Amino acid sequence: MAYDAHGKGLPADLGAPAFVDGWRNRAILVGLIFSAIAVVLAFMGQSLDPEHLGWDHFLRAWVLGLMLTFGFAVGGQALLMVQYCSGGKYGLLLRRPLEAMSGTLLLVVLYWLVPVIFMRRLYLWAKFSDAEAAFKAGLITQMQEHCIEFKRPMLNPADYIWVSLVCFAIWAYYAWRLNALSLKRDAEGSERTPYWIKKFENISGIGIVIYALTMTAVSIYWVMSMDVTWFSTVYGLLYLVEQGFQVLAFAIIVAIALSKAEPFKTLLRQREQHDLGKLAFAFVMLNIYLNFGQFLIIWSGNLPNEINWYLDRIRGHWGVIITLDFIFHWLVPFTMLLSRDIKRNKKRLTRVCQFMVFAVAFNQFWLIEPNFKDAARNLHFSWGILEYAAVPVAMTAFWVAYFCIKLRSRPLVQVNDPHLKEILEPEHAHA
Amino acid sequence: MPAREGIYGLLAEFETPGDLVRAARQSYQDGWRRLDCYTPFPLEEAAEAIGFHRDKVPLLCLLGGLLGGAAMFGLETWISVIAFPINVAGRPTYSWPAFIVPAYEWTILWAGLSAAFGMLALCGLPSLYHPLFNAPNFRDGATTDKFFLCLEALDPKFDVAEARAYLETMGPVSVVEVEY
Repeated sequence: MAYDAHGKGLPADLGAPAFVDGWRNRAILVGLIFSAIAVVLAFMGQSLDPEHLGWDHFLRAWVLGLMLTFGFAVGGQALLMVQYCSGGKYGLLLRRPLEAMSGTLLLVVLYWLVPVIFMRRLYLWAKFSDAEAAFKAGLITQMQEHCIEFKRPMLNPADYIWVSLVCFAIWAYYAWRLNALSLKRDAEGSERTPYWIKKFENISGIGIVIYALTMTAVSIYWVMSMDVTWFSTVYGLLYLVEQGFQVLAFAIIVAIALSKAEPFKTLLRQREQHDLGKLAFAFVMLNIYLNFGQFLIIWSGNLPNEINWYLDRIRGHWGVIITLDFIFHWLVPFTMLLSRDIKRNKKRLTRVCQFMVFAVAFNQFWLIEPNFKDAARNLHFSWGILEYAAVPVAMTAFWVAYFCIKLRSRPLVQVNDPHLKEILEPEHAHA
Repeated sequence: MPAREGIYGLLAEFETPGDLVRAARQSYQDGWRRLDCYTPFPLEEAAEAIGFHRDKVPLLCLLGGLLGGAAMFGLETWISVIAFPINVAGRPTYSWPAFIVPAYEWTILWAGLSAAFGMLALCGLPSLYHPLFNAPNFRDGATTDKFFLCLEALDPKFDVAEARAYLETMGPVSVVEVEY
């Protein structure tokens, strides 16, 4: 029986299909439209809202967009390294999309320059170099004054900048190295594959540890320090899992969208798609586990220096947002991804993954906006708050365009991957 | 149920999963309905090939999970609110965040147990006897490295000579008659 000889071949052209350029153009268009909306909203917020915080909201929403695109770029690099260490078939499918994500770091650096320039509008510790005077003038509470002074050695503009720059340099190094070596591996025969597997494993193992440390540092500086009084030791991990969540969701969307044409049409079999869905499900569980764990510990402790962070985000109608966050971020993906049929259906899995990316942004809104005095325990409508729906969309759209360019720049398949033979075998269902 | 006698079915042995799946699919297409595949590891395509339909294991799992979660949450609520209310640092007696973790654990536990035991029950296990174990090659290889397709005598199409000839056309390693 010549069953095993039924294996399919790969097409001659392994590059990303031409319609990726169409995605790029569409993303740029969306980015431009939403940029215009964002600017209009900022002016409206500045003039029509009673608080006149239009541009402040623009900046806060910018941080959301920064965290989202940063999550794709650096999280993509992290998942790439995790795959190199764990091995597995999904590497063959996701390697090039993940490499393309990790190659977009430059745009994230550019995005980051905005909060650097407008630091004083976002961070109390940057705004008040003399915290005592600010307290006496009634601008901040005594707790904030104490925390600003106490945390000054870490939370100050110079440290913020150089720590971020060091982290960017490390990620840039890893992104460059992983991307360059991967092309070098492409150029060599399959007899060298064992060497490369070991090589990537050695680079990635230490890389994952460094990623976890740098990611923690940056998430503390960029987001957590917006509230100077609060701290949580699990904060870096929360972002780490969040990045795994969004990166996997995005990578699945890309892989399924690419499967309309070769080579992914052949490569993305139903079985591997099902496996990717299961992996995404694991991240959904891990995410709620850490988030609820943090809440339960702080709720149990009920200490005045911790619990206020949650009260800022529950009272004054924020309870509606956190309830929706729970539904969007956990309940919906959890129940959907439980289903075998949805995981095996291209269209439905794409929908679920798109929803997951939206849920990540929604969760960031809940994390970022209540840090500010005007919004803490007081969720209310203003034109400015609509920036959260405009700025991150524009920033992510431009990021997607950059991602598409990177995706087009190299073949989508690594032909000397040891899993290629297996993945090219037809599923028995098609035999 | 009266003791059955005579032929249970014809058992064809195959070398590879692919051979088995193609034979199974062919048989199903040719109208066989009382047939079954036996493989040493789960082979989803084989199940699909013989017209596998949905079973009730997911439903049992869901019900078990929901009942387990509700039972533990209810127990905790009953203890903390009615049976033995204590003031813990001024918190309300009904402090649901603290109840979540055990309730979640019970959800998992009962979902898992319901799925496992539900699956066994729906399969008719434990069973003390099955005629297929009369076939020596089945006894030796069904759980290690051999793939079997059994056309059962209950199928209206079944005729020993014809069914044997039919199975022979699909290139099996062997075809044996299995008695009840």
